[in-house]
Amino acid sequence: MAIPFNARISMPAEAKAGEIIEIKVLARHPMDRGGQSDGKGGTVPRKILNRLTATYAGEEIFRFDMHTGVSANPFVSFTTKAVASGEIVFEWREDGGASFTRTARLTVT
Amino acid sequence: MSLPISLRSNAPDALRLSEKEPDSAEPRGGRTGPSRRQLVAGAAAGLALAPLPRPAAAAAPLSEHVLRLTEGVVPERARLRLEIPALVENGNSVDTRITVDSPMTAQDHVRWIHLIAEKNPFPDMARFHLSPRSGRAEVATTLRLAQSQTVTAVAALSGGGFVMAEAAIVVTLSACIDGG
Amino acid sequence: MLRLAVLLLLAAAPASAEIVSGSSFLSPEMRRQQEDETRNPGFFWVEQGQELFSRRPEAGGEACIGCHAAPQRSLRGAAATYPKLVSERLMNLEGRIEQCRVERQKQPAFGYESPELLALTAYIASLSRGLPMDVAIDGPARPFYEAGRAFFERRQGQLNLSCRHCHDGLVGQKLRGDTISRGASTGYPAYRLEWNSVGSLHRRLRACSLGVRATQFEAGGPEYLALELYLAGRARGLPVETPAMRR
Repeated sequence: MAIPFNARISMPAEAKAGEIIEIKVLARHPMDRGGQSDGKGGTVPRKILNRLTATYAGEEIFRFDMHTGVSANPFVSFTTKAVASGEIVFEWREDGGASFTRTARLTVT
Repeated sequence: MSLPISLRSNAPDALRLSEKEPDSAEPRGGRTGPSRRQLVAGAAAGLALAPLPRPAAAAAPLSEHVLRLTEGVVPERARLRLEIPALVENGNSVDTRITVDSPMTAQDHVRWIHLIAEKNPFPDMARFHLSPRSGRAEVATTLRLAQSQTVTAVAALSGGGFVMAEAAIVVTLSACIDGG
Repeated sequence: MLRLAVLLLLAAAPASAEIVSGSSFLSPEMRRQQEDETRNPGFFWVEQGQELFSRRPEAGGEACIGCHAAPQRSLRGAAATYPKLVSERLMNLEGRIEQCRVERQKQPAFGYESPELLALTAYIASLSRGLPMDVAIDGPARPFYEAGRAFFERRQGQLNLSCRHCHDGLVGQKLRGDTISRGASTGYPAYRLEWNSVGSLHRRLRACSLGVRATQFEAGGPEYLALELYLAGRARGLPVETPAMRR
């Protein structure tokens, strides 16, 4: 069974307009560096999450480019200014083209 | 572009490495990157020195990786704080936090922060892209470090300048590894 | 020289030294990370296990939750009593889950160390988080406990060391980058940085055996089951910490 992708997004559900909030994201992914022997004379290809983008109120507010120096099950935290109630969309891109999406709602008061 | 040459010497590579002069400082012989011998010697030096605190890297010459990112501009060693443990018990997941002192306005903000581990098989570790909507220039992640080395954070500012900070990290080895 | 040092330390160690959790030997940062569900990746396995617990097998039949309704209540504390004797066989939590799967759900066994078995074990153990370890070591369990103790105290491998030499005699000292613990099993299945993953106690024990260049026994086999009972008996009263984080 392949390791299923999963993510844990931690941020306040509510914020005042203009308030800066911290968003913490933990993803489940082996972040396989590749290069190990596959036992058949070849090597295992690299398979990591290579990018996380966060989009909020019509704009990309954060992008995280990852290489093999980012740990397995990577954690990242960043900040954003609360501007409008709405969804923050998180999208991961994996080597090979697969992508995973999660959303979190922020209510701005 | 200016490369510091003051630390060049005629001592053998291994000896110079044991004095912890970064192997990336030498633009000689048209060779880029450390030789196999240097890497082996570096690994041995790293093992031998593992229990000792390393001297601050502040005076070290600029790594070629930094100058590649900044296209030759020398970053200021200021305004960027790199929080990373000096000694880690396992290089597989190293908590790292970077804060840049910036108002994060449209006129004056951090565009990106880039992390380099010069002795990782792939030195470029990660890049965080920020904008005025970030509000603050403060990010954190978990890094993978192959061995004891210097980790460098470089931030690109909206005005065209760069700031940076370095930290020397000792990575110790776990005792009872699975061995495959 | 090493042996002399070990003997001296054994002599100096109090006979009834208190057993403490492996968490006591982590850095404060890692302990904080372990307690923080937003930072401890072990909770991904718990979440997966919770999902599997409610899912009907693809081939049909009952989900775990079909019999074990309201597991937060009905299975709270269950994991703290394993390993235990089930119809005269010593079984740990993994073994009991596999037994349920094969005999009651009529499904093929997941296999030791498979992602599914790790996830279910981590989930069920997490339902006992904070409760004291509570294995039975008397009565019919006694011979198994004594076998585990004998394993713990027997010199093994090319390094000719027993578990006791380090995990009673050199606790708190450094072994390369590690700090030697009491060998308490309260956090397993645990997320180890070494593995970049959650793994079972028996996987950890296999690494111990390899460490002293001794025979590595089969995960789930009688040797490590008896040892697991002995370790759990030593750790009685300590809180279950699954999913713990370890180096």
